[in-house]
Amino acid sequence: MGLLALLKKFRSSQEKELRILLLGLDNAGKTTLLKKLASEDVTHITPTQGFNIKSVQAEGYKLNVWDIGGQRKIRPYWRNYFENTDVLIYVIDSADLRRLDETAQELSELLTEEKLSGVPLLIYANKQDLEYAASASNIAEDLSLHTIKDRAWQIQPCSATSGEGVKDGMEWVCTNITPKRN
Amino acid sequence: MIFWDSFVNYFQPLVLWYLRPLVKWFLRKTTKLCELQRICYGDPQGAERTLNVETSLRLSRRPEIKSLIKMLDSVHKDVIYRRDFVHYSVYTVLTLKKIHPKVHPQFAPSFSRCIEQLHGYETLKRDVETLRVEQYDADNPEHEAKLIKLWEAIMPDTPLEARVTKQWQDIGFQGDDPKTDFRGMGMLGLENLLFFATDYNKAARQVLSHSHHPTYGYCFAIVGINLTSMAYHMLNDGSAKTHIFNISYSLPNMRLFHQLYCYLFYEFDRFWMEEKPRDIMEFNPIRDKFEKSIRHSLAKRDTLFKINLYIDNI
Repeated sequence: MGLLALLKKFRSSQEKELRILLLGLDNAGKTTLLKKLASEDVTHITPTQGFNIKSVQAEGYKLNVWDIGGQRKIRPYWRNYFENTDVLIYVIDSADLRRLDETAQELSELLTEEKLSGVPLLIYANKQDLEYAASASNIAEDLSLHTIKDRAWQIQPCSATSGEGVKDGMEWVCTNITPKRN
Repeated sequence: MIFWDSFVNYFQPLVLWYLRPLVKWFLRKTTKLCELQRICYGDPQGAERTLNVETSLRLSRRPEIKSLIKMLDSVHKDVIYRRDFVHYSVYTVLTLKKIHPKVHPQFAPSFSRCIEQLHGYETLKRDVETLRVEQYDADNPEHEAKLIKLWEAIMPDTPLEARVTKQWQDIGFQGDDPKTDFRGMGMLGLENLLFFATDYNKAARQVLSHSHHPTYGYCFAIVGINLTSMAYHMLNDGSAKTHIFNISYSLPNMRLFHQLYCYLFYEFDRFWMEEKPRDIMEFNPIRDKFEKSIRHSLAKRDTLFKINLYIDNI
């Protein structure tokens, strides 16, 4: 190994930057989650047209979180953001039982994407504070998560508005992931 | 240069604190008028005058004026009637500054007008917030009626086939039921869209048709809700004051807020089309650029936005 490469490796191990992609159907709570991670106010959210990006410090990592709009019209653009992704966070509105099939379908399509192969997956079963929210284990069953064998994955119940469970999910991200690139 | 800047930053409050009363005293002795009088007589009516009156009141160290300002700042949470507030303000200033209404007959009307505007702006903030925190509720027949009215106003030739339908996407909602799209803007987002669609119907339909453009298309309603958020923040941080105070023919009211929104929507559409975005993913940077240019205009004291209702035929 050349000196330059050695230095580069040393530097990258110091910086520990992660690129995180936040996906899910519209109204799943991606932007609220992003704002919660950045400790910002979550009471003035509007639907995302396009995408939002924020850098957040957590557990010694610099997380660059990309929040891409979830409406059907925008989903074809998701693939433009796949490259160099270290972690995929998929957000589900646990109370929107009507669209559980749709969200399962979108997720299974994401998992076949070549650019996302082997990328660790964290699923937030969001909106647990709502009355009719399905439990994380029910959602895991509906999404047949046990069939995922090609990557590390985790499902985490949470409420992005109150912040409950969000930190546990991010801890999983930071302890289970090593940055692939740099 | 850097030294000078930090020097100025450091000493400016001190200079304001010590020098301002001195200058005011000098001007008072030479012109025989107090600062508020000089503003009310000398500055043009509108934002220039009202904002200078506000600054003068806010810098005052007199306890009576301080309590006046405290009252003004609480308008958004307590109900303080305009007439009471105006009477109290005029009375306080006239007695404190020993201004005799018979000797200075123009002062009270001009000063009242400024106070009315300041009070009206705070009341408007309160009314806007009330609408914003009201969440869209599909079980509320009033809300539902407004949503249907929006469709009928903007799509007069196409009947809505069902309450829950993919047709909503034609006017730029995300899915088949708009109820979850208003989010943090609540009923304010719907009321804004509805006002645009009814009071500026032609303009709104032109904007809607632009939003269907094959390459520069965007989601009409979703962009609209994002612009509600822009107008809301401009109102709350006070930057919309110049525009609102310069529309001098009426006191700040909800209609003026809706009109500001319509202006933003109409102009944003034009801005967006001129930017020729590659696709919808460029929305945030272009919105930020647009907001910056609007804020730049609002920083000028003589700014007054008017919808330029030139409708092109397509």
